[in-house]
Amino acid sequence: MCTVLQANGLCKTYIVNKRQNNVLKNIDLTVEEGEMVAVMGPSGSGKSTLLYCVSGMDRVTAGNVVFNGKETAKLRDKELARLRLDEMGFIFQQMYMMKNLSVLDNIILPAVKSKKNKESRRQTEERGRALMRRLGIADVGGNDINEVSGGQLQRACICRSMINSPKMIFADEPTGALNRSSSDEVMKELLSLNNDGTTVMCVTHDPKVAAKCSRVLYLVDGGIVGEKDMGHFGGGDKELRDRERELNNWLMEQGW
Amino acid sequence: MFWRILKKDLKRKKTMNIILLLFIILCSMFAAAAVNNIIAVTGGIEHYFDAAGVPEAMVYIEGENDLEEKIADLPGVSEAKTEHWLIFPDSACCEYNGRKLDNFIGILVGVSEKEMGINYFNEENEMIRDVEKGSFYATKVFTKDLDISAGDYVEFTLGETTLRLRYAGRLKGALFGNDSTSSPYILLDSEDYECFKSDEAAGMMPISYTYVHTTDTDKVEDLVKGVENVNVFGRDENKKIYLYDMFAAYIMLTISILLMITAFVVLRFTIGFTISEEFREIGVMKAVGIGNGSIRSLYIIKYLALSLLGAAVGFICSIPLTAAMMKTVSENMVLGSENGPAMGLLSVAAVVVIILLFCYGCTHSVKKLSPIDAVRNGETGERFKKKSGLRLGRSKLPATGFLSVNDVLSAPKRFGIITVIFTLCLLLITLMSNFAQTLSSDKLLWLFEVPDCQAHILDTEMLTEMMSGQRTYTDIIDENNRMLADNGIPGKCSMTVMKNGETVHGDKKVKINYSAIKGADDFQIRIDEGSAPQKNDEIAMTISAMNHLDAQIGDRVTADMGGKKYDFIITGRYSAFASDSAFLYRDFDFGEAAPTGSVGVQIRFDGDPDKDTVNGYIEKIKEATGSKKVYSSADFVKTMTEVSDTLTTIKRLMMIITVIVTVMIVILMERSFISREKSEIALMKAVGISNGTVIGQHTLRFVIVSILACLLATALLSPVSDFLMNRICLLIGDVSGIRCAFDPAEVLLIAPAILIGVTVIGSFLTSLYTRTIKSADAAGIE
Repeated sequence: MCTVLQANGLCKTYIVNKRQNNVLKNIDLTVEEGEMVAVMGPSGSGKSTLLYCVSGMDRVTAGNVVFNGKETAKLRDKELARLRLDEMGFIFQQMYMMKNLSVLDNIILPAVKSKKNKESRRQTEERGRALMRRLGIADVGGNDINEVSGGQLQRACICRSMINSPKMIFADEPTGALNRSSSDEVMKELLSLNNDGTTVMCVTHDPKVAAKCSRVLYLVDGGIVGEKDMGHFGGGDKELRDRERELNNWLMEQGW
Repeated sequence: MFWRILKKDLKRKKTMNIILLLFIILCSMFAAAAVNNIIAVTGGIEHYFDAAGVPEAMVYIEGENDLEEKIADLPGVSEAKTEHWLIFPDSACCEYNGRKLDNFIGILVGVSEKEMGINYFNEENEMIRDVEKGSFYATKVFTKDLDISAGDYVEFTLGETTLRLRYAGRLKGALFGNDSTSSPYILLDSEDYECFKSDEAAGMMPISYTYVHTTDTDKVEDLVKGVENVNVFGRDENKKIYLYDMFAAYIMLTISILLMITAFVVLRFTIGFTISEEFREIGVMKAVGIGNGSIRSLYIIKYLALSLLGAAVGFICSIPLTAAMMKTVSENMVLGSENGPAMGLLSVAAVVVIILLFCYGCTHSVKKLSPIDAVRNGETGERFKKKSGLRLGRSKLPATGFLSVNDVLSAPKRFGIITVIFTLCLLLITLMSNFAQTLSSDKLLWLFEVPDCQAHILDTEMLTEMMSGQRTYTDIIDENNRMLADNGIPGKCSMTVMKNGETVHGDKKVKINYSAIKGADDFQIRIDEGSAPQKNDEIAMTISAMNHLDAQIGDRVTADMGGKKYDFIITGRYSAFASDSAFLYRDFDFGEAAPTGSVGVQIRFDGDPDKDTVNGYIEKIKEATGSKKVYSSADFVKTMTEVSDTLTTIKRLMMIITVIVTVMIVILMERSFISREKSEIALMKAVGISNGTVIGQHTLRFVIVSILACLLATALLSPVSDFLMNRICLLIGDVSGIRCAFDPAEVLLIAPAILIGVTVIGSFLTSLYTRTIKSADAAGIE
């Protein structure tokens, strides 16, 4: 197993009204290929900021991040954008999509922009449709984004994040805006992706979601205060209940 | 609470509010300037004549007689002022920089400051009350082609008197002709004037001009009837002097209206756009139970505050703009309105009201939307057709191009309005180009009642001889035909000969200008209705002549030309710049009486020669006749109208205004789009789409729209310019059926290139702002 993501001494500081707000404090983090890492913590602990900093969506104040052998701080904007396009996938809590594009076009846009994609437009579109079929949303491809449900839209966002077969998917509370059944469907897809070898890093408040991950990080006030190795999740209901119980106990110990 | 929401809104949405404020300033500025121009132009000549104190009748008196006293004693005459003119027989009487002048052909008229019959003005439109001793003011005709500025000295010689006088500046007189064929005038100090006047060696014929303020012009006309070398002119007749000046002024009026329309379209778009930005907040307010009325009044008060501020600034900015626009068209006139500032204020007040109406209209949908529809940015969730027919997977366009085209097609109304705005901007330039081109091309030749020809000799000396009866038009045509033959120039001369005739139809009596073309037997005048005259007792008439006579095609009229009566039947209607005109059959004999006018000698060269050959012939004719006043047809039109240069100046002014307006529109709209699309830009960046692609997408959208605008403007240009030109011509003369000339390079290449260039640069530089939007913003955007 090799390291996909490594962060050393990661700090992120915001200055608001001349007041310094240290959101991330000296974080060291390593994510191995094929892992599914959950980041948990109370509100304002810096979970999302950590996700954005390690994914290169935000610049760090100090420290360095190495993604797939590339130090993101040393990359120019264009190279960083290329890295995100080709090797990373993103899923947000709010299902952001381009308003003027149909659901299918939103999904295939990153593939069309990617230089590593040598397919024809038709082949790319067919691949987008295949992804949609896999996620059970094949019939909404031509729809506008405001004509589908939240669950369908979030699955479309997952399709978009998968279209360039990224090395790693970053998900910021992907089920936060969904009901339980939609949430379960989305997590099923993320697990399936992980089982296929895609590394996943997922910020969540939901122990049910985190229980499906192989490792859980617990953040408080910008620092990782706890880390729990959960092992690979096989998929059974009983196993899930056991993992949930174990995780809840651990979280209680962390002050959850 | 209400005020706190408003205060917070003004502060929080600073960018959008500033953008809106700038558009309001722009709109108020154009509205105030346009309204001022419209008022000044529509009442233009009347205002000028009132300011100059032009009376109801003017009497030109040549020779010694006691008419001055008799006129003053006429019943109804309240005042009669007489100017006794000094006549400098030719331009060689004046010497500037050691060189005798040759820039004008006619006689030079000198007027004394003590005898000013009407009010005269300087270049700044200030009334001239006196002239400093040793100085003089001169009309445009005097200074034409003369590199002279105030303070320079000119030496005037009359008889044995020579005075070196200092040029004090331009002289504007309401009744002075301004075309190059008119006589120049100078205004002198009374002592200098007397110095020349008392020179007996000058042997001057006494010529005077009496300005008669009367309630009964008929009495004045009756008094001078039959007296030789005395003519009476009415106030309305003198308005014809400004025929072509009004041309430029009406064109400026058209442009002002176009500018105003552009400004209002921009404003309506911006208000609609900014209010649609507020939908989410409107939804929240509706959801918490705030009434529709309160929500609407919140926005109306916000727009009232912005529009009051914008209108005040716009009004101040309109003052120099109005002045710049008026300056270009009032070179020879004193245009303006005493009510200018008041009308400006009234028009900006109207802008405020219109903004509030726009706002009221735009917030109308607040009533119809449910809270949740409003939260969804006005989307009801119902849609019956695809936003855009394009599909990324099936498109051959590169991704950036696809995104841009898709954006344009997805919001057709928004981009359609921008296309209309750009089209109007481009039309402002291209219309001016077409107008200027038309007025310096041979396309208008037929409106001067001359036959199709390639060269014109406008030697006033020859024409004066004809009008004074020293030579006949036949002599002049024969002489010029001989001149052509002697110089090996294959061609034939003709002349349009004119004579005034008092024409009677029923109880109507009108002075009509009768024209006939002599020497061009194959020429047929262009007829708008009916048929051309085919016999000596047939005439075609302009519509205003027929209206004034209350006559129609088929009616008979009687004309008195030089004491001889003629009966004519009206066979058709034709177009001409000269309003009250009639066109005679070519064989009509004017008899013994000398013609009262002509538009020179026209030459039609054999074999339809090319431009270079024509120019070669013209040079030869100049040499043979010793006259510089030989023109090609295009130069003839340019010289006769004298507004081509003014229009070129207006065109340049319009280009500057259009470039500024387009840049502002592009910057402000692109900035509004960025503000609205911030979340999408952040999302694109989050998924790895580069800054370059985002900037490209935003720039390309404006390029697409500007190309569409260029195509639309090009398609509209010819019909719109023909329509406007005909409308303008109809306002100043009896003209229809004009086809505008155009310069393909200017209207098809240069003007579109300016629009597209300005759009590309403006949108590119503004879209660079998208670089400040970070991918991480995708998570934090509301």
